[in-house]
Amino acid sequence: MQPVILKISAVLGIVSRLSLWCSGVGLVLMTVFIAWQVFGRFVLNDTPTWTETSSVLLMGWFIILGAAVGIREGNHLSFDVLLYVLGDRAKRVLFTISDIVVIAFACGMVGYGVQLARNAWATTIPNLGFSGGLVFISLIFGGVLMVSFSAERLLRRLAGLPTARFGENNDGVD
Amino acid sequence: MELYVLFGTFAVLLLIGTPVAFCLGVSSFATIVYLGLPPVVVFQRLNSGISVFALMAIPFFIYAGELMVRGDIARRLVALAGAAVGHLRGGLGQVNIAASVLFGGISGSAAADASAIGGLMIPQMEERGYGKDYAVNITVVSSIIALMLPPSHNLIIYSISAGGRISIADLFTAGIVPGLILALSLMVVAWMVAKKRGYETERFPGGRAVLGLLINATPGLILVAIIFGGVRSGIFTASESSCIAVVYAIGVTVLAYRTLNWTAFVSATLGAVRTASMVLLVIGCAACFAWLLAYLRVPAQLAEAMKDISNNPIVILLVLNLVLLLLGTFMDMSPLIVITTPIFLPVATAYGVDPVHFGIILILNLGIGLCTPPVGAVLFVGCAVGQLSVGQAIRTIWPFYLAAVATLLLVTYIPALSLWLPSLFH
Repeated sequence: MQPVILKISAVLGIVSRLSLWCSGVGLVLMTVFIAWQVFGRFVLNDTPTWTETSSVLLMGWFIILGAAVGIREGNHLSFDVLLYVLGDRAKRVLFTISDIVVIAFACGMVGYGVQLARNAWATTIPNLGFSGGLVFISLIFGGVLMVSFSAERLLRRLAGLPTARFGENNDGVD
Repeated sequence: MELYVLFGTFAVLLLIGTPVAFCLGVSSFATIVYLGLPPVVVFQRLNSGISVFALMAIPFFIYAGELMVRGDIARRLVALAGAAVGHLRGGLGQVNIAASVLFGGISGSAAADASAIGGLMIPQMEERGYGKDYAVNITVVSSIIALMLPPSHNLIIYSISAGGRISIADLFTAGIVPGLILALSLMVVAWMVAKKRGYETERFPGGRAVLGLLINATPGLILVAIIFGGVRSGIFTASESSCIAVVYAIGVTVLAYRTLNWTAFVSATLGAVRTASMVLLVIGCAACFAWLLAYLRVPAQLAEAMKDISNNPIVILLVLNLVLLLLGTFMDMSPLIVITTPIFLPVATAYGVDPVHFGIILILNLGIGLCTPPVGAVLFVGCAVGQLSVGQAIRTIWPFYLAAVATLLLVTYIPALSLWLPSLFH
């Protein structure tokens, strides 16, 4: 079973790396857009109207993609006090429950995201002209990634492979 | 009963180690289903919670901080602090605190402060014969200063959690005096501990050397003026000024200092994405949770219940402080800000506490929580940098805790410390 899971892991590793890079590019683009907005207002005397809306749209994408990668890398903030005192087996059970909870919520993101996108499809985003449904596509896409990464964690744990733990990496959490 | 569903689900999931964002989302989902409301509301709120322009200041400030840490700005500030206060009793301890004031003024992140300043100062202090515990204690507790001085992205999280009605310019201004009082009280404690242990002082290098180091560090320090001046004067929004901070940090580290190469730029960007998306997902999921709290009238009920304890604002503030300190020892800062603000702020304002004043109390209080076990992100960072066990670090940390708590009490009971400076701008 292990070799198959390792293969899946390798593929998801690439997906995760790509998502993280897209997220990073999103952050850089946001910086460029808002800097352009300030430049436009003070230097060109002409405030661009598209920068704010498009940056907010980008931010939605960058948060959801980054958060999905966070699931795989175990970056998310969590409360570990109880886990410190438990034995390995109990910990594994609790981690598994946590992963299933995340999968359930992420499925909700996909299902209800589709519903929201459908309802908003006919509307347009002001200043940009795109469909309003686009706002919710990130929710659907991120939900799919979160389900895949959490399922990978479950499979790896079943096969006795290590998984990155929630709360292990606490850099810059303040 | 709805409250049991909301808080019960949240507490159980939290205890078993589910990431906080999902605890908030799933408990909101369960409550909405229980109330018979359409569950799609949860995801609509989540989406609108992360689509707020003011929120953009958070990733930008985190990004600017990452760039500055990797771009050698911290080292220049430490050199300046060393020349300026190294000759005081407690020498390098004082330098460590002064460096936190300078660095905190540009980064606003306690964990970044502890790793940047600690990484530079702890080995240096050890080499000069200071106890490792002393070095780690000072590094950890003085990093709270970074949370108080502008630009503190935690104050922005607070402003957003309070419904976005509190002026970020006022919050930034209000944190300055309390931050400096904290620095001063830590310097006094560092002086006393150093005297007791007989630590050396450094030689004063002379005014000319200090001036040279000041010039060297100036490009970093100008950033404070840009951010604070821009937000305070209303020329920029907080989001815009944070974006300028990023552009400026790239400009200084690439063009002036020539310290940021492509690899460092990529790792700063990806590091900022990792931290910011995690914090922002919590904020998005908390949007729904906070909406439910208001829907179920939790703050109003709590304010009523508090009236049974006392009618005296002094007692109420003490109770709120104790609860926050307790919560802060167990949980990280940003989730606690988004969860406690909608519950406690209405209680505090019902007793006549100014929302700006309460924000400063909250941040200082939760900042102390970052330095205390069992869950203290900054304490862990400081101990990791200093290669000291948490147990060894906290054995001698109490005088520094005492100074921080004394500052908290001063800030809590003398509103003018927070409110005087912003009042000058009105």
